[in-house]
Amino acid sequence: MNPEGMNTPSAQPSWTARVNIASATERFLELDAELMLRVRDGDQASFGLLLEKHRSPVIHFVYRMVQNQAVAEELTQEVFLRIYKSRGSYEPTAKFTTWLFRIASHLALNWIRDGRNEKRQASLDEESPDGSAKQVPDQSRTVEQELVYRAKLREVRQAIASLPAKQKAAVMMHKYQEMEYAEIADVLTCSESAVKSLLFRAYESLRVRLAHMA
Amino acid sequence: MECPQENGDGAELIVAYAARALDSEDRAEFERHLEFCARCRDVSSAQRALWLALDELPPLRVSSNFDAQLYRRIAEEQQRSWWQRFLPAEWPCRPAIPVAAVSAILIVAFLVKDSASSLALQQQPQPKLQIEQVERALDDMDLLKQADVEVFLEKTAPREQI
Repeated sequence: MNPEGMNTPSAQPSWTARVNIASATERFLELDAELMLRVRDGDQASFGLLLEKHRSPVIHFVYRMVQNQAVAEELTQEVFLRIYKSRGSYEPTAKFTTWLFRIASHLALNWIRDGRNEKRQASLDEESPDGSAKQVPDQSRTVEQELVYRAKLREVRQAIASLPAKQKAAVMMHKYQEMEYAEIADVLTCSESAVKSLLFRAYESLRVRLAHMA
Repeated sequence: MECPQENGDGAELIVAYAARALDSEDRAEFERHLEFCARCRDVSSAQRALWLALDELPPLRVSSNFDAQLYRRIAEEQQRSWWQRFLPAEWPCRPAIPVAAVSAILIVAFLVKDSASSLALQQQPQPKLQIEQVERALDDMDLLKQADVEVFLEKTAPREQI
């Protein structure tokens, strides 16, 4: 079956579209750096703007890494706290988001490495009381559809959780943050070819694990 | 088009195709290839299904007090004294732990010092016995014994006479 024949909307912009919005993205990047420079000079409101803009992407990234909402929020607060503490020595030598996600992935990978997630890995069900995000039922689905949907979500989460931590981080940044290979390499401080290797092995594992859902 | 899975570009091309990240020219060329390559077709189909499954993960609703907690932590950070800022965040704040650690260090230091000093004593050269002193001491002991015998005889003699 030709995958393009699937009647589903794409969440991803095409490469062409990405090129077309490049100048707008650059302006955003300049804005981030400018805001951070203002934070360095003592402007608290600029820190609030940076937080408002990047809070959600960072917390989603960390949540998908650690699979626990409370931990994700705590680690995300730590990310922004470190950004704030480093304001005095900030120099816009790299993209702000690269710096931001480097701190976020470092904290998430350390948390996973330290085995602090072991107790929480027992259940990845969104309904579990272990701190995973609560899922509000979609009113447009029947009870049966809702159950099937939740079972599917649980399988996807478990498949992601089964990936090695660095592969998981690479997938999260590629899939959900739409980062290019070079930027992921900057965040994970490895080569672009290493990132491709991580990503393609991760996608292959996920394809095998979720093959029955295709 | 050469099969991308043969020339090593397959994974990257298939991932980009499933993510709809190819430009129209590359996409058209790859779709022509898919028409007769079952292997690429299968992998592309699975990757596209995976991409859509990953899209299903719902967004997280951030706690309403997230910002308030963050700003409270920032305020706490600013209230810390300059030397505390150099300590890691995980540094123990309860006094029992550092007190126990310091005590353990002192005990170990004392034991090490004690064993070192006893070792030094063992290694010290023993003083030579003064032979003359020994002989003198033996002579003194003989004199004392004789004196004791004489006193004893003096005390016992009158009783025998009685």
